[in-house]
Amino acid sequence: MDFKKLINWEQVVQLQKLKALAHPPKDLYYIGNFDPKILSDCIAIVGSRRMTDYGHRVIEKIVPKLVFEKKAIVSGFMYGTDQYAHQVCVDNGGKTIAVLGWGINKKLSGYDKNLAEQIVKTGGLLISEWETQEGTNWTFPVRDRIIAALADEVIVTEAAVKSGALITVRDAIKLKRKVWAVPGPITSKTSEGTNNLIANGTAQMYLGETVQQILTFDNPILSILQNETLSTDEIARKLNKPVPEIGSELTILLLSGKIVERSGKYNLSE
Amino acid sequence: MKIRSIANVGLETVPVDVEVDVAEKGFPGFTVVGLASKAVEEARERVKTAIVNSGLDFPNKKITVNLAPADLPKDGAAYDLPIAIGVLLASQQLLLPKDFNLENCHFYGELSLDGTLRPTRGILLLGLFAQAKRGTLFVPETSANEAGVVENITVIPVKTLKQLINHLLRTEEIPILKYIPPEEIADFHGIEIDLSEIAGQEQAKRALIIAAAGGHNLLMWGPPGTGKTMLAKALPGILPPLSPPEALEVTRVYSVSGMLSPGQALVSKRPFRSPHHGVSAAGMIGGGSNPLPGEVSLAHLGVLFLDEMPEFPRQVLEGLRQPIEDQTVEIVRAAGHVKYPASFTLIAAINPCPCGYLNHPRRECKCTDKQIAKYRHRISGPILDRIDLFVQVSVVEAEKLMLTTKRSANKITSKEAKNQVVMVRKTQEKRFKDRGIYTNSQMKNSDVKKYSQITPDAENILKMAAEKFDFSARSYYRLIKVARTIADLENSTKIMPTHMAEALQYRQMV
Repeated sequence: MDFKKLINWEQVVQLQKLKALAHPPKDLYYIGNFDPKILSDCIAIVGSRRMTDYGHRVIEKIVPKLVFEKKAIVSGFMYGTDQYAHQVCVDNGGKTIAVLGWGINKKLSGYDKNLAEQIVKTGGLLISEWETQEGTNWTFPVRDRIIAALADEVIVTEAAVKSGALITVRDAIKLKRKVWAVPGPITSKTSEGTNNLIANGTAQMYLGETVQQILTFDNPILSILQNETLSTDEIARKLNKPVPEIGSELTILLLSGKIVERSGKYNLSE
Repeated sequence: MKIRSIANVGLETVPVDVEVDVAEKGFPGFTVVGLASKAVEEARERVKTAIVNSGLDFPNKKITVNLAPADLPKDGAAYDLPIAIGVLLASQQLLLPKDFNLENCHFYGELSLDGTLRPTRGILLLGLFAQAKRGTLFVPETSANEAGVVENITVIPVKTLKQLINHLLRTEEIPILKYIPPEEIADFHGIEIDLSEIAGQEQAKRALIIAAAGGHNLLMWGPPGTGKTMLAKALPGILPPLSPPEALEVTRVYSVSGMLSPGQALVSKRPFRSPHHGVSAAGMIGGGSNPLPGEVSLAHLGVLFLDEMPEFPRQVLEGLRQPIEDQTVEIVRAAGHVKYPASFTLIAAINPCPCGYLNHPRRECKCTDKQIAKYRHRISGPILDRIDLFVQVSVVEAEKLMLTTKRSANKITSKEAKNQVVMVRKTQEKRFKDRGIYTNSQMKNSDVKKYSQITPDAENILKMAAEKFDFSARSYYRLIKVARTIADLENSTKIMPTHMAEALQYRQMV
């Protein structure tokens, strides 16, 4: 994929927010069709590389809504939370900005390449401040500041105590951006960082849609999946019905798009 | 002097004549010719000492033993007995009664220094070989039971060389081993682990029943300690009992490998083999300079369980492709070319990641995405293509189950499951009687079209799923086969949408 240098980025009105950084990037390179409008209303979604089912569900719940509000999703293109946020955004037809932790000319392969193509196709951008830099341990924290600066608000979906996502949070606070954290179970290591942010007041609690919809279903499987993520065995046990019957119903629900399955567990599709 | 014996090449039996000559002239010595291995060469010392210790003379003359045919490599200590008898006859210490028919007698067994006979492998094959001519067998008493299940032969179980000589001279009669029909001795009902002993895992149990009924290979996927091994061990207990001819078939393999315990007549339980992942390719497929059966053949008509499948060397896993496809293995070595049966149900278990705790509710996984991808890539596509059922086995909180389980809709014992399986196997036998296959899993793609009887609605579901989950053509046919077995379990001649939908629960997910 061809990249271009953004000539005189300092002149772009929508990029003035980068100037607030202690060390603004010298150059900016990008892949995609550059349209400054994408930069006007951005929200960053950051989180752990290793995400749990909960992290997946959080992103599936909040990203479509943000896309609907015509916000661009900014994230770091790393596997885990970053890429999933990009993916859900493009799946919902939204525009997303991937701030790379390496030089723009690096050849992508496999899923990375596939995702990058999807991002460009839906009108998003891949950007980097380097042309040829290798991705290494210092480049990722450094690009985090650009994510924080581009975004007007930052949402942390899942983070352990020592997560890189917290670097973005620190940068965002320096830049006086609004920081949200999604609360998680206090037993989960990958939610410890986010819960701490809420507990010590650094971040506000992000609850997605605050008004909980109460839905009623004819199907008992859908009813019990309303509040829980369950495996086939657990559903069969709860309803005390034979596994073959439950299994075949689950397949039908899955194919009709009413539920989704991830590593053997089911939940309602949002 | 010519004594009849045999050599087992794989599962084939070749007659071997042991010719002994005691020459009056020449320098005293004892030579064995005829492509004898080390073990056969050493027979000289055993035979010499055993004869002396039985109170007879070892002739101080030039003795030549020829094992004919001369170009067939011979291995094992089983020629001790025919050589000893040959020496005694040739040196005229043993004079057989006139009416004794040596032509139809087979001698086979290893001697110990004091003249007793030691357990020797391959006796069942000798029995089956002698069956055609209604021959007589002189074999070690400890292994004689193996031949006891063969009809129309005379088996003389011999304890010592001395006793045999007395028997041949008719001074002491050794009682003939009675023929025992395989049906009578077989204990066909032993169940090691009953399905009802396993808490939870309802879907995995169902998958086991489907696997047993349709002969499908199964892959279980889940963290350590969730009962994958236990589930696999429960499978032999729900497979239909071995029929007597099947039991003989299994016993042949075990007889050749020398894996029958002394006195054991028949392998009557379905084999369950669970080789460790350190196994070599020769150990798995079979091998050695004189090729012996490997794990795939020892699991013949039973279950081959590969725990932590990705840990097995690539070469070993790839070696499984031929036996899974052809249900036999052919081993080619310098010494010869042998064929062993290897019709087994493969049960594989894999952890979700190298550390095993990916998506575990309470423990943290320490693997990187790269490690996980690498781990899963170790199982090649061609092997996964030969597995029909994939099922996730998740962590069960046993104490929770104990409290909440009332009369569950999913409670099933191995006996009930076995009855279902036997019924479905009969249905399949009827379906494929003109086709020469036995189970749904053996259907080729053309058979799937012919025999599956899929309703248009069910096919629509499959097409929808194919689009959503991006199936390969192979997966497509695999799922129809599984759906066919599910329909058989529900006693339905057609594959209904519910059957197809259930089959989709077992689609490939790794």
